[in-house]
Amino acid sequence: MDESNHELEQATVLLLACARGDGTAFQRLYRLEAPRMLALARRLTGDPGLAEEALQDTFVQVWRNATRFRPEKGSARAWLYALLRYRLINQHRRAGRDEAEALPGDDWPDPEPNPEQCSMQSDQRRAMQECLRGLQGDRRRPILMAFYHGFTYEQIAETLAVPLGTIKSRVRTGLKGLQECLRL
Amino acid sequence: MIPDNQEEQRLLIAEYVLGLHRGEQAVEIERWLAEDEQAARQAAYWREHWVGAAELLEPARLPPGLWRRLARETGIAVPWWRGLWQSTPTWRFASAALLVALVLAVGPLRQPAPIYTVVLQAPGEAAQPGWRITVSDNGDLQLTPLVQQADYRADRSVQFWTLENNAKGPRSLGLVEPGRSLVIPAEQVGGVESGQLFELTLEPPGGSPEPRPTGPVLFIGRAVAL
Repeated sequence: MDESNHELEQATVLLLACARGDGTAFQRLYRLEAPRMLALARRLTGDPGLAEEALQDTFVQVWRNATRFRPEKGSARAWLYALLRYRLINQHRRAGRDEAEALPGDDWPDPEPNPEQCSMQSDQRRAMQECLRGLQGDRRRPILMAFYHGFTYEQIAETLAVPLGTIKSRVRTGLKGLQECLRL
Repeated sequence: MIPDNQEEQRLLIAEYVLGLHRGEQAVEIERWLAEDEQAARQAAYWREHWVGAAELLEPARLPPGLWRRLARETGIAVPWWRGLWQSTPTWRFASAALLVALVLAVGPLRQPAPIYTVVLQAPGEAAQPGWRITVSDNGDLQLTPLVQQADYRADRSVQFWTLENNAKGPRSLGLVEPGRSLVIPAEQVGGVESGQLFELTLEPPGGSPEPRPTGPVLFIGRAVAL
């Protein structure tokens, strides 16, 4: 088991302990997951202060609602990121930013002619990274802007200065490609 | 409006998980997901996969006051020494200062080439070293008492711990007899790194019932490279 999978399982064990009221487990979960969640919150808000506030609010929610977590439905990490993202997406609309702002995956080259090819990796998280790599850049970028910045279709279109219909079509084609690649 | 076409439904879920639907539209999708088990499963798969994209981000450094605010808001009472266990350069600084004092007082260490040392102090009493740890270049660890040890009740055990990193959590290095030196072989110690934390805690007889300390910290300190 690699370090990342070990951490993923550990987060699930710690979150289940939080549901039993174990404060030490909560502190360890915070130490394990909060650094990357803060990085994601900073991307989504573009504001370090708001990002910290959102992270704190999310962890308060985690502590209070840990009993709602169902490990059979997914990992603790996916649950935590979903809480953070939806909180920020619903409460805060990040202002449009410079198109030139770098996103993870920006430096990936476009794939060879067989574009949305499948990865055979069973690891879901790595599979997503591989599948994103397999997308054409003009499809990948708007999808990543939605994920990392929480942008709507309109914000993406405005930021990239591309017609809304074109952006919708690119995102949907990209999502279909991911869907096939991930076998969803 | 939720489409009838299955392919369109799947695409709608993908868009929703990505956060592309807001307001009433999002509420309608959420209601649908709450009722349709297959659709909910599909959304869960997407969320699980998106973790992979989040993991491409470099973790950020956590602001020091954030945990305190969080603990206050949630009403969690984590013992104060847990915070020290997790961070605070105080121990490293105090250990280094005491090491200098010890070397001056005791003279150069004659054991086979120690590469790390740790001065274990009682929490809150940085000027009173209780134990010294030396890790030699072959990886063996020696724990030596520096002062007369308190006579703990016979129904308690003193347990020795290390914390290599927060993700792995604390690891027991066994029980310690107060006032007696102890040598732990390299295989049991594992690798030691600069800043690694060591502590002695007071536990129930035979040691902690958990894979982590449950009793109060008697002595604590961090490894300093020599």
